[in-house]
Amino acid sequence: MTEKLKISIKNLNVFYANKQALYDINLNIMEREVTSLIGPSGCGKSTLLKCLNRMNDLIDICSINGQIMIDGTNINDSDQDPVLLRSKVGMVFQKPNPFPKSIYDNVAYGPKLHGIAQSKDELDSIVIKSLSRAGLYEEVKNRLFEPGTGLSGGQQQRLCIARALAVGPEIILMDEPCSALDPIATAKIEELIEELKTKYTIVIVTHSMQQAARVSDRTAYMHMGELIESGFTKNIFSNPQHQKTQDYITGRIG
Amino acid sequence: MNNLSQRNQAERRFKTYGFLAVLVAITFLFVLLFNIFSTGISAFKASYIGVNINLPAQSERSDINPRKEFKRQVYEMFPQVKTRSDKRNLMSLFSKGAIYEFEELLENSNKEDINGYHWFLAHADVDMYIKGTVERQGNEAGRINPSRMQYVDVLVEQNLIKLQANQYLLHSADSREPELAGIKGAIIGSFYAILIAFIVSFPLGVLSALYMEKIALKNKFSNTIETNINNLAAVPSIVFGLLGLAIFLNFFSLPRSAPLVGGLTLAVMTLPTIVIAARSAIKSVPPSIEEASIGLGASRIQTLLNFTLPLAMPGIMTGTIIGIARALGETAPLLMIGMVAFVVDVPGTPLDPSTALPVQIFLWADSPERAFVERTSAAIMVLLIFLVLLNLLAIYLRNKLEKKW
Repeated sequence: MTEKLKISIKNLNVFYANKQALYDINLNIMEREVTSLIGPSGCGKSTLLKCLNRMNDLIDICSINGQIMIDGTNINDSDQDPVLLRSKVGMVFQKPNPFPKSIYDNVAYGPKLHGIAQSKDELDSIVIKSLSRAGLYEEVKNRLFEPGTGLSGGQQQRLCIARALAVGPEIILMDEPCSALDPIATAKIEELIEELKTKYTIVIVTHSMQQAARVSDRTAYMHMGELIESGFTKNIFSNPQHQKTQDYITGRIG
Repeated sequence: MNNLSQRNQAERRFKTYGFLAVLVAITFLFVLLFNIFSTGISAFKASYIGVNINLPAQSERSDINPRKEFKRQVYEMFPQVKTRSDKRNLMSLFSKGAIYEFEELLENSNKEDINGYHWFLAHADVDMYIKGTVERQGNEAGRINPSRMQYVDVLVEQNLIKLQANQYLLHSADSREPELAGIKGAIIGSFYAILIAFIVSFPLGVLSALYMEKIALKNKFSNTIETNINNLAAVPSIVFGLLGLAIFLNFFSLPRSAPLVGGLTLAVMTLPTIVIAARSAIKSVPPSIEEASIGLGASRIQTLLNFTLPLAMPGIMTGTIIGIARALGETAPLLMIGMVAFVVDVPGTPLDPSTALPVQIFLWADSPERAFVERTSAAIMVLLIFLVLLNLLAIYLRNKLEKKW
């Protein structure tokens, strides 16, 4: 495994109005690995995740200080365009949220937005490639022009992953992608994450410790807006250094 | 158990009350509609008197004075009529419009000979007698005195008075003569006014709703504006009329009585309704869709235009059409800006003086002429039909736009 630093978070503090949500987060995320963020509800996992593609920009009262370097560039610099950032850092949300459009248009929206495809054929091939990568193409190839909202929950979530892949990101953020899915659909998504990490850097927020243990290479445990502990998943789960981490993974809190 | 039967009883009682309430409301509605329809339906027909016209083809038509010629033709049917007052009584059975109908007949005849019975509009007094609106008492009926009645009796006996489709009600503007009065001018005036109200208030309303809901920072200032918009929706419409009078007429010196000004005033009145409807429609667009779009790298405006607005459109359209329907039925603000004038021409442009349908109803209802009663009801029928059509359009648009997904 080549260890290359992809994202480096230094002294990150996030405030919602006067309330501090994240305290001095320092975390390194490696390229082509799956990093999972775990911790009890309200600990700031999702806030941290959203900082990575500046989705917090949308919240007026949110302010950020500290550094988030992706490939050596601070993404919060004033000359950084959040639109370009988001094409590099894709996101999959907690609840499957396909657009009320056809399956094809769902996937084609991103490429169209960024002018990635030069021709209709190229767009077609991007859509097919993205759907195949998300493991959905075989299931939907005969109904590409039917509404994406007509798919099952698991299929919808894979459609959302395909939609994120179509823009050609390097990093994929997943915010509890399986929390609304049944075990079979979850298994499919986890399989997919396993495949995707050969090409993409994946950061996943999850409530399920089993899932974190199954899919991630590294794990970071957060508690009350602080990063308690991070490291290789197997170390965190077998030999946690911190009392709070141990309490959480053994089920005593959270 | 005892408790349960009480609860069931209470439930049944409640159901009955609800049903009765609906029943009472429906009864009111039907009584109102029946009243209007039974009074108004007769206005769609008018009495016409048959006159035997004899004009040989060789006559040089340009020499003919239509007024004199028409009278001569009528007198020929009643050889016994000799004195001036007899002649005047006979001619008073016809509407003033009969002369114009005769003129038209002359023009259309193309200098060929005219023979046989042609039908000319009767005076409103005759019309009301024929329709039975006024009762006959002895030898008179309403304003038909015995010296007029003798001719009416002869005409009725010879089957020379008949009810035909009213050519004037839907094809002419207002008139002092009830039988010549129509609502075309008012319909066109209303059409221009609500068209302008729509053109002005729809984009303004949708843009302000979008701005307030999605772009503006939430602070004291925006809260104040929000509260005030909600208050504006409850302001009596006549106040908007005063506003229109002060701003559009006095300050901008726009023409008085014009549908343009009426439309602008109605637009101001409709604006709060549209803003409120559009805001709630925009609010109900799932944020997850917008997040997905932003997450893919769409800008805020792209997200608004690609998803928020199209998804909110059914709700916005419904609110807008309901607002416009209210504007169509609005009278008070139009009174203030002078659309209450008596206008005998159908307006050609939104700048011509005109009246509007509800104002026309008000004018006719106010008129002392009894023949206007049925026309008032007929105008109400037309207004109600337009309102129903607008509401159907709202339902159609909502279903169609929503069906897309």
